Amino acid sequence: MTATLSDFFVYSTRTFKALFQPPFRSKDTFQQLEFVTWQSLPVIVFCVSFAAMVTIMESSFHMKLMVQNDSLVPGFASLLILRELGVVVSSLLLTSRVGAGLAAEVGSMQVTEQVDALRMLGIDPIRFLVIPRLIACTVGGVILSLIANLVCLYCAMLISELKLGYSSGSFLTGMRAFVSYKDLVFAMIKGGCFGTVIPIVSCFFGLRCESGAEGVGKATTNSVVVASVAIIVMDFVLTYIFSHFY
Amino acid sequence: MRPQTKVGLLFLLSVVLMVAFAFALGVLQPFSNSNELKVAYNFAGGIEVGSPVRVMGIKVGKVRSIQFEPQFKMPESGEQVKLVITISVSKEAWPTVRKDSHFFINLAGVIGEKFLEISPGTLENPELTPGQVVRGEDPPRIDQLISQSYAVAGKILEFVNKNEGSLVDTIDTLNKLVLNFDKMLKQLDKTAKDPEVHKIVKNFNAILDDGAFFTHELRGPEAQKTIKLLNELFHRLEPMDAKAIKKFLQEEGIRARLF
Repeated sequence: MTATLSDFFVYSTRTFKALFQPPFRSKDTFQQLEFVTWQSLPVIVFCVSFAAMVTIMESSFHMKLMVQNDSLVPGFASLLILRELGVVVSSLLLTSRVGAGLAAEVGSMQVTEQVDALRMLGIDPIRFLVIPRLIACTVGGVILSLIANLVCLYCAMLISELKLGYSSGSFLTGMRAFVSYKDLVFAMIKGGCFGTVIPIVSCFFGLRCESGAEGVGKATTNSVVVASVAIIVMDFVLTYIFSHFY
Repeated sequence: MRPQTKVGLLFLLSVVLMVAFAFALGVLQPFSNSNELKVAYNFAGGIEVGSPVRVMGIKVGKVRSIQFEPQFKMPESGEQVKLVITISVSKEAWPTVRKDSHFFINLAGVIGEKFLEISPGTLENPELTPGQVVRGEDPPRIDQLISQSYAVAGKILEFVNKNEGSLVDTIDTLNKLVLNFDKMLKQLDKTAKDPEVHKIVKNFNAILDDGAFFTHELRGPEAQKTIKLLNELFHRLEPMDAKAIKKFLQEEGIRARLF
């Protein structure tokens, strides 16, 4: 366990060091970015929409239960969606889709000795494999968290109009009373941080993959579990830090 | 489609969404149609940047900024005011904000959302100029009111404890007084219904009528003439002393006792 943590620390340091060393593989970075954002967008939008709808309906139910009035639900639900729900749900979905894919891809390369071949050719696997994915996931995390948040808010507005009886105008008025623009900025920063965690963890487990199909599966599972846990812990840390700015 | 194009489209979409969200929240107002006004307070009662500004209950703007100005003095009165709040008011509502308008800080909603309420001014007063500094009405400090109420309640309790006996006596006396007054009112009611009293009142009324007739006659020209003659007679009699009058009366054969 200690050895693994030590390896992870050394590997992370090397990764961040390599991040600022050219050459930057722009073509590969854009391909990864397309994989992370464009291809993940439908599933993320679909899932967060339902999460937002559930959130606003549950909020209304609980408010009515407690104070027999749900007039504040649009504001509260918007704030909850913007500060937590949109970014965390989209990052966890990104972990299960992209993180698992990255771990499996890098793990397969490790098992089939393609990583060793890169080393033989004098190419640093971190700079070659990890950096484009790291940049893609970080930028993708920011973009996806933004889109996911706004889609969530739109779906919440739809439900509040169709189910709860609040017009879009009153929803926006309620939202304005609670939400500030920095909530969105902090959500995007969170998205970027969560996006950074995913490729680092996934590639770490991929590069440490043991031989055989079982090894690849194990690396994939570990990467998803560890990245998800890391995201939730990091969410707490970032929320604590951001709370000083309110 | 190339990956670069797809990523570029998504990036563009993100920028558009960010701008749209800023516009929806009112952070960006490229087509702003409002004027700014500075309202000075010494106590702002918890109002915040972004709090709504209302005229006659309708939202017409919001609080733009709050500045601490320790050296600030009101231009006209010279009053020291340490807090200057910059607000925006839409041009549509601007003509209703006049020199005699009042600027209150109020509470609204279930959770007590703070807002700045502007009472509309009268047409006799001129409109305010954009950027002008006006004095707001400081909201009451609830904490101070509560503490003052506690102090007053304490003093009342102390007074009651110290003068418990006297207070009881006073209340007893008051009670008796009220009872007596009640009895008196009943007696009066009874008396008013008595036929004898009716008769007395009727007679008194007749006397008053006669008196009125008599005084009316006195105001007539004949009576005035008589009074004038009497007055002249008294003036002529004034220089005469008792002896002269006595002699005059004796000569006339009138017996009278004078002085």
